[in-house]
Amino acid sequence: MRQKVLFTIPYALWILLFVIAPLVLIFYQSFFNIDGQATLGNYATYLTSRVYLKMTLNSVWYAFLITLVTLVISYPTAYVLNRLPNKQFWLLLVILPTWINLLLKTYAFIGLFSQTGTINQFLRFVGLGSHQLLFTDASFMFVAAYIEIPFMVLPIFNSLAEINPSLINASKDLGASQWQAFTKVVWPLSLPGVKAGIQAVFIPSLSLFMITRLIGGNRVITLGTAIEEHFLTTQNWGMGSTIGVILILAMFIVMFVTGEGRQKGGHRG
Amino acid sequence: MSNNIMEFRHVSQQFGDNVVLRDIDFEVEAGKFYTLLGPSGSGKTTILRLIAGFDQPTSGEIYFDGHQINDVPANRRQVNTVFQDYALFPHMNVAENVAFGLQIKGVKKSEIDQRVKEALHLVQLDGYGQREITAMSGGQRQRVAIARAIVNRPKLLLLDEALSALDHKLRVEMQTELRQLQRRLGITFIFVTHDQEEALAMSDQIMIINDGTIQQSGTPVDIYDEPLNHFVADFIGESNIVPGVMKADYLVTIDGQDFECVDAGMRPNERVEVVIRPEDLDITTVDQGKLTVTVDTQLFRGVDYQITAHDQRDHEWRINSIHKTTVGAKVGLAFDPEDIHVMRYNESEEDFDARLDSYEEDD
Amino acid sequence: MKKHHFTWGGLYLALVFVILYAPILYLMIFSFSAGKTMEKYHGFSFQHYVDLFADGRMITIVINTLIVALLASLIATIIGTMGALVIKDSRGTWRNSLLSLNNVLMVSPDVIIGASFLIFFTVLGIRLGFMSVLLSHIAFCIPIVVLMVLPKLNELSPTLVDAAYDLGASRWQALSRVVLPAIAPGIFAGYFMALTYSLDDFAVTFFVTGNGFSTLSVEIYSRARQGINLEINALSTLMFIVSLLLVIGYYFISKHSGRRNRIVAVKEGDAQ
Repeated sequence: MRQKVLFTIPYALWILLFVIAPLVLIFYQSFFNIDGQATLGNYATYLTSRVYLKMTLNSVWYAFLITLVTLVISYPTAYVLNRLPNKQFWLLLVILPTWINLLLKTYAFIGLFSQTGTINQFLRFVGLGSHQLLFTDASFMFVAAYIEIPFMVLPIFNSLAEINPSLINASKDLGASQWQAFTKVVWPLSLPGVKAGIQAVFIPSLSLFMITRLIGGNRVITLGTAIEEHFLTTQNWGMGSTIGVILILAMFIVMFVTGEGRQKGGHRG
Repeated sequence: MSNNIMEFRHVSQQFGDNVVLRDIDFEVEAGKFYTLLGPSGSGKTTILRLIAGFDQPTSGEIYFDGHQINDVPANRRQVNTVFQDYALFPHMNVAENVAFGLQIKGVKKSEIDQRVKEALHLVQLDGYGQREITAMSGGQRQRVAIARAIVNRPKLLLLDEALSALDHKLRVEMQTELRQLQRRLGITFIFVTHDQEEALAMSDQIMIINDGTIQQSGTPVDIYDEPLNHFVADFIGESNIVPGVMKADYLVTIDGQDFECVDAGMRPNERVEVVIRPEDLDITTVDQGKLTVTVDTQLFRGVDYQITAHDQRDHEWRINSIHKTTVGAKVGLAFDPEDIHVMRYNESEEDFDARLDSYEEDD
Repeated sequence: MKKHHFTWGGLYLALVFVILYAPILYLMIFSFSAGKTMEKYHGFSFQHYVDLFADGRMITIVINTLIVALLASLIATIIGTMGALVIKDSRGTWRNSLLSLNNVLMVSPDVIIGASFLIFFTVLGIRLGFMSVLLSHIAFCIPIVVLMVLPKLNELSPTLVDAAYDLGASRWQALSRVVLPAIAPGIFAGYFMALTYSLDDFAVTFFVTGNGFSTLSVEIYSRARQGINLEINALSTLMFIVSLLLVIGYYFISKHSGRRNRIVAVKEGDAQ
């Protein structure tokens, strides 16, 4: 019995101090204005301001696009990977880039995309002329998708790997074509992985702020950027917390829609 | 009795509203091979867990070697268990697994090595000490699990469905080996199984458990020949069970037809159940048979044919016969008075024993 | 991918790998360039590595980052393993609530974690700096460890602990000699994951760090906003090599321990 209590205390303290308390605090803080007075003003501002609503829609739209692009690239990747001999090794190669600091990868893209960078040099070389790549929506989405790909490939790969190969043989035995076997057997059975992947990508995409700043050049304002700005620049913690609460709500909606998945969510800015 | 190593007195076990054991009483004599036999969910594993000390009974007393041990935790009982899934420690090799209990007790290293070697020899795994558990087959793991238990020289060894994970051939081999091992070590074995053949083959004593109570206990022969009730008759071996009326001592009526039998001690005209084992029925011509039946199916099983048939009143009869018959044919069934076993409804084990004693003394 | 056997799938995969690795290789190649920008390769040089090692501030920050990561993941591994044991022992709704609470920090966006921790530390009056960063890293690493350890615990046959008691082990002996060694691969993986999460974190640290204390991610962020600096490339290359070595090490260790641990799966396999 003593052993059990001994184990429970640190973990319970963690839940209390670092899970429950911060959530309660951010909710509490959202009812205070910049001068420290209790108010519902933050929510009123949020709900009536066209700027905030547009930013929210924008943020959701970009997150949706990033998730879609990532999914479209990742599903075939996971599918092909799964059919390779030594697939665990190739999977490791897909995951390996996630061990590189995120900032470093983003930093690489600044070099690649810059006005005089390698991509533009290549474009000039093939006669397409140089283009503004950095600080565009497209580059922002590309880099975001680049960073998220492994997190989408992994759960999809796992759910594909779990599918019993005799199920596919069975469906072919029952007359299904290759394509039918895919749409009627493989795809539905890999859906849990797809959902987990969407969950792992969509939520962080809603709150990206580092990539928006470095690659998007502040053209794209997401919920994450707004929170960062309110907390660290304008010091309006109340408004920042309000947007935080909205983001938490959005998170719950996504989790509800994609069901209970327990893949790694990702700590990326 | 000083020879009893283990005793249950009015033991009941309840998990929430779920009553698992009802007022269990039994004694275990030292040095014998006991089997707890029952269908899954009957409570047999619960009894084992109470003996091992993994659970405490809701009420009643458990005695071990004359001492009440209700509150003695599992790690301080002189009982060891062979688990159904073997529960071998995956991060240790064979010798480390076997040595575990001795190390915990702080036995000297040289003695541990010696005893581990002996234990592995007993289960015919000489030289396997340094193998990883993953490198062992199912049957070998079974032996490691046994060695790990007996190396501690327990007074009582519990085996929880210990053979059920093995394939049929290996299981039969292990039955013989376990029996030999038990004789050689002289340790009391309590073996839990749902397999009646296994129970009959290995045990000195069988306890049949169903629905949280002991239905009948006795030697394999006693239980097979004289099942106490419908459940036991049905569970042990194959049986034909038909309703009948006890006209007088040694005379039973089935569907109006009188048969001589060897049972007695019931009230006149008491309603009873009659058991005849399929292998005790012989197929013969209609006029030589005591019963006339029509053959429905016939399956060849290697040693014999399993035949099902029905009589005029649509009672189904199962017959195991070494002779072939014809599906659809009308045949006679012959049997002797000793082949008939009569069971009373709701008779307790004590009453049953008393009644048997009363008329067997007369003979 | 065998060269003699062309498939569209293989080609696609090759393309994905090119995209995944191009930026990393790009960084590495330019770290050896004699020039000062990532525009044109100016010939081989170790100059940026020399600069990097002469940059006292950068070295301090790398050490800070490592200290925070090693310490945070160690403490998180201890608390997280305890947490997994607690969850494993719990039942029903209680267990589900614990799991949900455990996963809150896994699914929360970094900005939320960062912002709410910032409020939390401010309310408690904890000075922003090493301590607040360390506490935050421990906090977001704990659920990762729990999620890596819990499946290993669930794989363990419940009879394994019974067997230990049966053979005379006390509760503590059953834990230290049977349970912990048997779930060691999970604990190890948890520590490793925690380490990478901590090393990789930018957003949470960005929120809760104070003036005097910086980690690598935060430093690169501020330097990158000022423009290209090939010292960072040199650093990336070194970090990539270290990561690669870690991953290879991890791969071999998990392969080795996997061999011993596979019995849990095999055991169920032969129960037919």
